[in-house]
Amino acid sequence: MRTTIWFLKGLRNGKKTEKFPKAHPEEPPLWPSKLAGNGTPECPTNAIEQGKWNAGKCISCRLCLPDYKPTGDQSSFRVSGKFPGILSRSFYLYPVDSGTCGACNTELLSILAPQFDASRLNIFFTNTPRHADALVLMGVYTEGMDQVISRAFEAMPDPKLIIALGACAISGGIIGKRPHLSKDSVIEIAGCPPSPYTILEALLRAREGKR
Amino acid sequence: MQYYKTARGNGRYIGQTRSYTIYSDSIDSPVKVEKKPADIIPGELVFNYGPSTGGMIESVRIALSTPGEMIRSVAVDPTYKLRTIKLSGLSLKDAFILVERINGYHSSSYQAAFLKAVEDALLTEQNTGLDEELILQMELERIRSHLNVLERLCEPAGFGVPYHQIAQMREEVTRVISSIFGHRYFFGVHNTPKPSVRIPSGIVTRTKDIETRFALLFESLQDSKIFVNRLQGNGKIEKVWLVGPAARAAGYKYDARIDSPSLDYGRYGFEPYIEDGKDAFARFLVRGNEIFSSFAIVNQIISNGRPDQANLMNIHGTGIGAARVESPQGDLFCYLSINNGSVERIEFCSPSVSNIIAFEQSMQGNIFTDFHFNWESFGIWISEAGVEIE
Ligand code: SF4
Ligand code: SF4
Repeated sequence: MRTTIWFLKGLRNGKKTEKFPKAHPEEPPLWPSKLAGNGTPECPTNAIEQGKWNAGKCISCRLCLPDYKPTGDQSSFRVSGKFPGILSRSFYLYPVDSGTCGACNTELLSILAPQFDASRLNIFFTNTPRHADALVLMGVYTEGMDQVISRAFEAMPDPKLIIALGACAISGGIIGKRPHLSKDSVIEIAGCPPSPYTILEALLRAREGKR
Repeated sequence: MQYYKTARGNGRYIGQTRSYTIYSDSIDSPVKVEKKPADIIPGELVFNYGPSTGGMIESVRIALSTPGEMIRSVAVDPTYKLRTIKLSGLSLKDAFILVERINGYHSSSYQAAFLKAVEDALLTEQNTGLDEELILQMELERIRSHLNVLERLCEPAGFGVPYHQIAQMREEVTRVISSIFGHRYFFGVHNTPKPSVRIPSGIVTRTKDIETRFALLFESLQDSKIFVNRLQGNGKIEKVWLVGPAARAAGYKYDARIDSPSLDYGRYGFEPYIEDGKDAFARFLVRGNEIFSSFAIVNQIISNGRPDQANLMNIHGTGIGAARVESPQGDLFCYLSINNGSVERIEFCSPSVSNIIAFEQSMQGNIFTDFHFNWESFGIWISEAGVEIE
């Protein structure tokens, strides 16, 4: 007889979580990852200017191939500063979709998948800004969400952070302008969309910054 | 236009674009659909969900009116995160980058609808190698999308173990996609100077393993009385205008894979899976069973080696084309007018618009606790409903 005891089924499935970030990512994607190359090829977002690649503008469109090639390196993020008192034990994230295509949203949620299991690293999502340490901004500026985002940020307890996730939130990407509050972001997680490896590593680096 | 004709409504109703009413066999002049504002009854409570709330993946406002426990009416507003995406005047290559990002979770469906409309407009011969590649993309996308809906259905039920097991499978499918197409969401796959699709060794073993584990889990979920009870009788709807899994769960054999000439599924022996429960459980069953039929197609294609792919780098020409494909949530239609290699006019008809209306109507008479299950069972994507394409 088939058992419907989910607990046992879970145990039978075994452990699926990767050793990342202690070990290298098991299956890093090529796109997005850091690009390396030479020259100033055609780029629809001006992510390559004067021979320099800017991760925050790159949308992984591949038009710069073969001058620039993906390296597989997932560390496309910027953490500015240290955040005492915010990330010491647990890190609660409140995601806000300003104007996404949907892919940043699902990649962010993917950090909860067993392969990544963000909760083992004390990273959680909260349904209310009142319990959040960080507001995760995704997507481009949209008129309808502008006030909603400001109000959510106001409702968060101090100290609080803004994280810009994805090319749209960092630079406007290819779709539009970045949301207003992005200018105050202290963590930028690049990619279109950023991979769960990049998201997790950025969040952990922010925590290390504190330590 | 090779496939579509401008004529009075022939075939089943698909939906509206900005300028046309779309049927399965023809394009007609637009019908003005007036959406009545919800009437307010004194003493009735209106609960506003969103636009930003943890329970939803995207920003959306849902107003539920109730005199007590029973929901009397529901209004979904997908316009809070309204994006304007300007495509007219762009080269096909540049437009393609934006088209992929209308609904990033279903970018393959948008790529396919656009590329097949280009083919139709420029009267190029149907390329079976390209069709095979697009079908491979779309069926992997469908597996992942249906897994996502099933995962989301487990969440409000508090079913942690199946929720995480499906999340694990969804991530594995994403890695399969990444290993074949280079990008986890298929972005840029047709923009490379050289073919970028590759079939890594051992990939069939991997997809078969995911399928086997999914079969066990799907069976267990159907055995769970608690889970089934939350879905049965919830969100019943049976309308001839339904599309996608919602239509197939209401007994309609509607599927662009069998009734659109844009992509040839004939050689894969594909037959749509039909249920007649009309409720969230029937939609769950349709999606679960479609995962198997999609795996069957995927395994056939990847066993044959690397399929062809499109290259938009150097396409020129002038013409008008249209295409309709079956995205994971239903018919996706693209109308495209090209002038000397640039987009002159483009319009889409997206399945989430139809699914939002279906959700609103199916909620009437249900109770509050049904809300999340019913919402998730339609697999609605706001990114494609709250968007203006210019
Ligand atoms: S992948 Fe696209 S956006 Fe990124 S640098 Fe290359 S051309 Fe620019
Ligand atoms: S950054 Fe890319 S993936 Fe994220 S919302 Fe913008 S277009 Fe979509």
